[in-house]
Amino acid sequence: MNEQLITYTLENGLTLLIREIHTAPIVSCWVWYGIGSRNEVPGKTGLSHWVEHMQFKGTAQHSASWMDHTIARLGGHWNAFTSPDWTTYFETLPSSALETALALEADRMRGSLFDPAEVETERTVILSEREGLENNPLFLLNEAVQLRAFREHPYRNEVIGAKADLLALTREDLYGHYQNTYQPSNALLCLAGDVDPEQALALTRQYFGDIPSQPVEKHIPAPEEELPSPERVELRGPGDTTFVEIVWRAPKANSDDFFAFTILESLLTGPSSLNMFGGGGISNRTSRLYLALVEKELSVSVNGNLNASIDPGTFIINLTKHPHNSISKLLAALDKEIDKIQTKPVPQAQIDRAVKQAKALFAYSSDNITNHGFWMGYASSFADYSWFTRYVERLATVTPEQVCSTARKYLRPDARVIGVYTPNGEESGGD
Amino acid sequence: MTELLFSTKTLPGPDDITREEFSNGSVLLTRPNMSSPAVAIKGYLPPGSAAEKPEKYGLANFMSSMLTAGTWRHAFRELHDEIESMGASLSIGAGGLATSFSANCLREDLPRLLALIREVFSEPSFPIRQVRRIKTQLLTFLAIQAQDTAAMADQAFDRAIYGSHPYAIPELGFPHTLQRISREDLEDFQQRYLGPKGMVVAICGGVLPAEALAAFSQTLGVWVNAYQQPQPELPPVQALHGIIREHVTLEEKSQTDLVLGTFAPKTTGPDYLPAQLGNEILGQFGMMGRIGESVREKAGLAYYAQSELGSGIGPTTWQVIAGVNPRNLDKAVALIREELARFTSEPVSEEELADVRSALIGQLPLSMESNAGVAGALLNLERYQHGLNYYRELPARISSVTREDILRTAQTYWQLENLVIASAGVALS
Repeated sequence: MNEQLITYTLENGLTLLIREIHTAPIVSCWVWYGIGSRNEVPGKTGLSHWVEHMQFKGTAQHSASWMDHTIARLGGHWNAFTSPDWTTYFETLPSSALETALALEADRMRGSLFDPAEVETERTVILSEREGLENNPLFLLNEAVQLRAFREHPYRNEVIGAKADLLALTREDLYGHYQNTYQPSNALLCLAGDVDPEQALALTRQYFGDIPSQPVEKHIPAPEEELPSPERVELRGPGDTTFVEIVWRAPKANSDDFFAFTILESLLTGPSSLNMFGGGGISNRTSRLYLALVEKELSVSVNGNLNASIDPGTFIINLTKHPHNSISKLLAALDKEIDKIQTKPVPQAQIDRAVKQAKALFAYSSDNITNHGFWMGYASSFADYSWFTRYVERLATVTPEQVCSTARKYLRPDARVIGVYTPNGEESGGD
Repeated sequence: MTELLFSTKTLPGPDDITREEFSNGSVLLTRPNMSSPAVAIKGYLPPGSAAEKPEKYGLANFMSSMLTAGTWRHAFRELHDEIESMGASLSIGAGGLATSFSANCLREDLPRLLALIREVFSEPSFPIRQVRRIKTQLLTFLAIQAQDTAAMADQAFDRAIYGSHPYAIPELGFPHTLQRISREDLEDFQQRYLGPKGMVVAICGGVLPAEALAAFSQTLGVWVNAYQQPQPELPPVQALHGIIREHVTLEEKSQTDLVLGTFAPKTTGPDYLPAQLGNEILGQFGMMGRIGESVREKAGLAYYAQSELGSGIGPTTWQVIAGVNPRNLDKAVALIREELARFTSEPVSEEELADVRSALIGQLPLSMESNAGVAGALLNLERYQHGLNYYRELPARISSVTREDILRTAQTYWQLENLVIASAGVALS
């Protein structure tokens, strides 16, 4: 991919990345903060996500509705996301309105109010968000499995936080976290779309240049290279469907193993994309596990998920057990396929196909300016932009032997957590 | 008129859309975007679930799932090997009145993908093993859905508002009706109704109109189904009388989902645009409009609370939806009713109207920045017979909607003594 990038760093440490794309009169403006649930300590889970909510509640200069209505009036859209590794805010709007986005983001980098009454209102909103998630058995299963996939590392926690913590966090916790971590030196500003770099730099200086930076104190957890121990987690609840989630340790995004693992994931559970905003996916009906588990009527569906993360994270396989089959047969068939990919050479043609699929997935989403803004900051959160621009190229260098050895290294039966959600009234595990 | 931040020439119009009618009854719309290496294809064709018989509800959706389960030329695995090896995608699903499909491919693979789409429509083999397997998948999906409070509230709402109309039935059918569907039913339904008469396809992206026309005219453009019959006509809906309250009890759920609503104006009628602007004010603009401001921002009762205006050829609904803690359900309903009372008793403010005019106009270029977005927009031109200049004229039409138009439309469609209120979650206290 030919992705020309312009980079500046202001004196206060704010880094600006610009990618010019002039296919439509649109710009996407993103501010990324190097803070997420990875930096949270026990008892304070959910802090980063709650702060993200408070960033939409107004500043000394602008009310919440002013911010909201200003973007909406322009026909733009804005949102924010909190992940384990980062928190990000974006606006996509007509390129003539770039200044509005920059002014807004600079204002809320330091000027958010965290009004105590608003904090309390938002507590119930976030509890309601969590309750909506709890309605889904897959969320409950994932939460239980992740807790056992790490000893202490915060990747074990859901980003939204534990209910007990959400009930106990105070306004001081939230405001302190905000003041400490929302600093220019802990932020990355990404602009993608129809921008003039000189004008964009001038506007960035105008709005962000005077914001002072203080040293950021944040908890940096020790990476956990290995899963604590093999475990099986059993959950029960309403419904008629048995779900299975299997979790292994995965390499961190900025490592050679990650690219071999991406090919491995594609072969096992189908290609996944880095697209945040549409573009479409590619089905996984010829992936090895679909053919071995779904076609053979052991499972009704199979999905894989490899997270690109700063520290070693997880590779997750989700299965929906076939109602007329058993967990033990399902897991035996899964193990057989994993053993095959660990021991039998993968044909080069299968790797070539996975690379073509990755290339196609980028092509489908490259007309979306918002995706470009996302990719710039996302890749920079754990590596740099070249991680993204060289992504397909690095996938193409993966060899059949690397796929096998990566499978042997990570997908070990003694290094995984198996979670099973069984409907109330059914025998455990459906066996 | 509201000041434009873009030129309407950047929107699809008669000078860059190519529209061609084919002798088999299909229509192709195409618009190039040569800066893109990819192509998006979207389309719809008969039939939908409205053509089903009561004992076989779910047949249209089951049939659409089976189209990619194997053809007389390609077994399941061969078919998907072809599609996935191209890095392409193809998904097919059924709605109330039509079967819809959506596909993506790289520019060079367009002719091959169109040929495969024609093949799955015209030569599905309905292998008996795949019929059994996909039936189990659909039944499992229904079992999962039966535990989903949002889906159950939505279905309860549809049952109550549509009564004996076919739209009261979920498009996936019911477990007992799915169980009854045989391979022969699927094949008969496909041969009887699935055909090119009434098919509309949009192809957008890195392909010139002449190339798209050539590829289409050799594939879907020459597909004939001599047995294709028209779908049965939809009956009219019955007006609402009184408040209908429905609740679906699902144990061990933390959140209750709520749907409250009435019928929407016809998508092709004169009330639709004022309703669209009104709906933005009611529950969309900014952080979910007035409803979001009241239920989420001020009362903190819900993570989401918003209004939605349906669109389609058949009857549609105008709803307010929210997800709340069970103990806050009555409070949320009361707040929503308060907002509806205000919406139907006083004109929206000049500022609100200016805001949503500007928002709806400003969203146009963003909604069409992608090939898929443009393809969807072109399908709507044909579906609603808007004419090729529709999007370029839309800013002026939006600007001409008045506060009085919105109030009149709100009062016509939201009659607060005639509503459906449906919810799903733990038992009501």
